[in-house]
Amino acid sequence: MSERPYVSKVDRRTALIWLGAVGAAAAGDPARAGVVVQAAGAAGVQVLGYGTDPNLVHPVIPWPRTLTKDQLQACAHFCDFILPSEGPTPSASALGVPDFIDEWVSAPYPEQVRDRPLLLEGLASLDKAAWQIGASSFTGAAAAQRDSILAGLPKTSPGFFLRFRGLVVGAYYTTREGFKDIGYVGNVARLSDPGPSPEVKAHLERELKKLGL
Amino acid sequence: MAKTEPYDVIIVGSGAGGGMSAYHLTKSGMKVLMLEAGRHYDPLTETAMFNIPAEAPLRGVGTPDKPFGFYDATVDGGWQVPNEPYTVAEGSEFLWWRPRMLGGRTNHWGRISLRFGPYDFKPYSRDGLGYDWPITYDELAPWYDKVEKLIGVTGRAQGLENTPDSPEGCLLPPPPPRAFETFLSRGFESMGIPVAAMHGAVLTQPLNGRAQCIFATPCGRGCSIRANFQSTTVLLPPAMATGNLTIRTDALVYQVDLDSAGKAEGVTFVDRKTGEHHTVKARAVVLAAGSGETARILLNSKSPLFPDGIGNGSGKVGRYLMDSVGANAAGQFPALENLPPTNDDGMGVEHVYVPWWGYQKQAHKEMDFPRGYHIEMGGGRSMPSMGLARIIGDDMTSVGPALRNKLRGRFGSVVGFAGRGEMIPNEDCYCELDPTVKDKWGIPVLRFHWKWSEHETRQAAHMVKTFLEVIDRLGGRAAPGIETDGAKAISKGGEIIHEVGTARMGASDKDSVVDGYGQSWAVKNLFITDGAVLVSSPDKNPTLSILALSWRSSDHLAELARKGEL
Repeated sequence: MSERPYVSKVDRRTALIWLGAVGAAAAGDPARAGVVVQAAGAAGVQVLGYGTDPNLVHPVIPWPRTLTKDQLQACAHFCDFILPSEGPTPSASALGVPDFIDEWVSAPYPEQVRDRPLLLEGLASLDKAAWQIGASSFTGAAAAQRDSILAGLPKTSPGFFLRFRGLVVGAYYTTREGFKDIGYVGNVARLSDPGPSPEVKAHLERELKKLGL
Repeated sequence: MAKTEPYDVIIVGSGAGGGMSAYHLTKSGMKVLMLEAGRHYDPLTETAMFNIPAEAPLRGVGTPDKPFGFYDATVDGGWQVPNEPYTVAEGSEFLWWRPRMLGGRTNHWGRISLRFGPYDFKPYSRDGLGYDWPITYDELAPWYDKVEKLIGVTGRAQGLENTPDSPEGCLLPPPPPRAFETFLSRGFESMGIPVAAMHGAVLTQPLNGRAQCIFATPCGRGCSIRANFQSTTVLLPPAMATGNLTIRTDALVYQVDLDSAGKAEGVTFVDRKTGEHHTVKARAVVLAAGSGETARILLNSKSPLFPDGIGNGSGKVGRYLMDSVGANAAGQFPALENLPPTNDDGMGVEHVYVPWWGYQKQAHKEMDFPRGYHIEMGGGRSMPSMGLARIIGDDMTSVGPALRNKLRGRFGSVVGFAGRGEMIPNEDCYCELDPTVKDKWGIPVLRFHWKWSEHETRQAAHMVKTFLEVIDRLGGRAAPGIETDGAKAISKGGEIIHEVGTARMGASDKDSVVDGYGQSWAVKNLFITDGAVLVSSPDKNPTLSILALSWRSSDHLAELARKGEL
């Protein structure tokens, strides 16, 4: 990621939906919205999911985003540390993955509610690590300092690292750009299914021969 | 709706059983009212065919609102339905999947369409366990033929034991195996286990005015071009076209009403939207609400004549509840890494499967469990999902180019195995009315009891052992955490969503609820055409058999009506 701040990649429609939800739930204050979500299911405002009968063709996300600007910037750095651009292949932040992390940690469902403290505390630990090496905050640190902190995560916070990486990988490769990068060539209407190409069959036969089959 | 009352027939439910009954009865000239508890549903406009995960909330992962993922066809239902609880007895585990939509679970089902075999209808005669059906395979075979020709099922004759081949002209050509399916076939065949072309309810050729498959998009989302089987795209449109079908949705039927002579005169339902209760009348009633809901209606239909519910004189309603045995494993195969990009979408169903291969060994008592299972395999270079990082689950550090390269190399190299096996009905698995809990409208709900026997847990252990052996033979690495203890590996009751057998058919009213045509012993103009009538639950997925049985029952009903014998 460049040193320019991350700018949300959400489209206008989604942004408006989120904005409306934030307004209703927390008077437009992302920090307060975060508290509200944490309190969901206990006391406080109930943050609703999309229900059992959402519009499947034109989906909407009804819950407010809750990351602060600083947390979103930290996510963007981490996302691009995991999947930076590679030639023409875009970086994670270029595909809006930080927004997805925001969507994930803000969601009201059990899996996401479970993930939230792990991810938020993980992001907070980045600031602590930055402070220990003399920077004011993680996002305020120099690029080399940030990379050094992130590179240490598999040892210092393996749970946070693996969960964050899993979300980034999932979010990245479920986009059209991700499909292209990983070599998924389906989701196109065809007149017939010819099966694997001769090249694929030859590859398989070579491998099966190695296995004695 | 009131215009044509009384109807000739009221059908409760619109899935495989109800849809097929409606198809046949309306084409037989009968005026039919179909009552569906769920909402109206139109697959042509509501199916997210080509949407990708990035367009869905949370990239489409399953949530309590949409347990099988955001794009799964099931709407307005799931493992829990608001306002409509069910209970599970202490010490039991049971899950009950209830769609609340027109077409029921035919909208999202797996489309695996295997005929039951001759042994499956006479299991008691073969090994002394379970119960025989009052009908034989040969009696049902012509109805399987008709169903396959109507809905479209792939497959080919392979001459395997108790795995019936269809007559010429019934099946559509199966698609070629995907690369990983060919690879796995070689592994199974090296173990002496045959692999067969899948019988899937997907059109590989145009049929009866429906377009063929476009070999893209998951069938579980439903199909807006009508290329796979859904009651809503294949059965209900032609039934509506007769002019003889009226459909009312959001109508939760809870009681069959009887006249003074003890015959069914209609049903009573609550409108889920308004809370109003309505009674409608007909000359005959067909229950096809799904095995659980059908039993609930029978049990709630209490009268002086039937104080414990209709047809429950011998206490058999709700009994002999079965589900398929399930166990899973996954393996990562280095031999499948770095395959050249290939389009593995195919038809939405597996292109091959492993039919049960141990009939002779079991006949000679060489296995420690009596009934078989088949194996379904999922994998290949399918559309990436949020779970993609699991393919690098053993990599604790990679980022950047190393991470990308590993993901690209391993994409499509993980295969999941699922066993689906026969359960033998037992006295510990049943449903009954909960003595205290009621739904939002005051109607008593079901309470489920469940206990697998060693027949099933040993079978589950064998499934896992087989998966691990084929993974090993093919140089794969088993995913961590695979449970080899059958009692722990086995699925929960109801989890496979093949619950059947709560109002079984039989040879007499002493040990069954309906006769071999699904006709109630107790109330002659009451028929059951869903999975409730099944006497056994072979490994073969039940929907095709429910369709065949429903068609046969409906034909019998129409014939009796013609003769004035209802």
